[in-house]
Amino acid sequence: MPDFIEPLRRRLVELGCPMAQVRRLVREVADHRDDLKQAAVSEGLSGAEVETRANAQLGDPLALAEQMMAALRRSSWWGRHFIFTFCLLPLLVYPVLWTLLLLLQMAFGFALGYGWNWEKLHVVANNPVTFHHLTTAIQFMDYAAIALVALFFCWLARRSAVSLKWVAISCAICSLAAVITYAKIEPHSFFIGFAMNSHLHMPWFRGAIPLLVAGVIYVFQRRTMRRLQEKVAG
Amino acid sequence: MKKTNPSFLNGVPELLVLRLLARREMYGYQIVEEIRTQTGEALSFGEGCIYPYLHYLEAEKQVSSQRREVEGRNRNYYKLTARGRKRLEALTSEWKRVTTGVSLLMEEQYA
Repeated sequence: MPDFIEPLRRRLVELGCPMAQVRRLVREVADHRDDLKQAAVSEGLSGAEVETRANAQLGDPLALAEQMMAALRRSSWWGRHFIFTFCLLPLLVYPVLWTLLLLLQMAFGFALGYGWNWEKLHVVANNPVTFHHLTTAIQFMDYAAIALVALFFCWLARRSAVSLKWVAISCAICSLAAVITYAKIEPHSFFIGFAMNSHLHMPWFRGAIPLLVAGVIYVFQRRTMRRLQEKVAG
Repeated sequence: MKKTNPSFLNGVPELLVLRLLARREMYGYQIVEEIRTQTGEALSFGEGCIYPYLHYLEAEKQVSSQRREVEGRNRNYYKLTARGRKRLEALTSEWKRVTTGVSLLMEEQYA
């Protein structure tokens, strides 16, 4: 007797359906199948006939999974406007990222007790050791912010039930944006802008961060799929 | 500009589901069965296709759902929200407008 529920679950995961949605859809379809079986029993059917009838009424589990995903996409604004969301928005998010970086930098300054005390800031800028600590901290924040933007788009892709292809596209655009944008700190000055230049500190590493995030998401997805396949096989 | 009705046919499943839920809360299987029996089997939903539709309506805040145990069975029960009721009113008046138009044409043709 071919199983109905596990192929449905597997296809939903393959299509990138969020796990909470997978659990809910599968549970509801399983409830529905139980109702169909109950109706078949009340009509006098028994054993394998009941299962066959319920499966036939539900149709192809793979086609059903695809219909479910299409409905999920339609129900999300991001899913309906996926070109804007996953191709253009990653570029627009970077000004926000920079603003956040500046705010973080200011918060960092306040946390260290410098506030708007220019004399203290000049002392930090003129001392190579403290200036090195400051730039390292800001650089770390820069990398973390790039990774967060890429993670945000991966989350958005899952939330709006679009395929892994759109995760890859948005991360590639995040990567491009990370390569061509820069935030540079020198004693007594701070620069932000777009450039394809060589004076950036590790620009390709910045570009690699979103690709690493996409890679981790892909591996995670494959592992989830493998676990499900093992469960079905077992 | 003349008003058109491109969403007329697309809106039929939505109209049927909202109409049924306006009467009482129901679970997916019940909705599919009610559509089949109450339309004299003229219309029917694919058995599993009702759930993406219900989830879409829920995301649009036209229906809400709650998992409850009734007679030893746990199921998700769906009910209409205030927004769903407004949507039902709009779809109903649209439906009446279109069916009146179609009836007029059919009557003329077969008179």
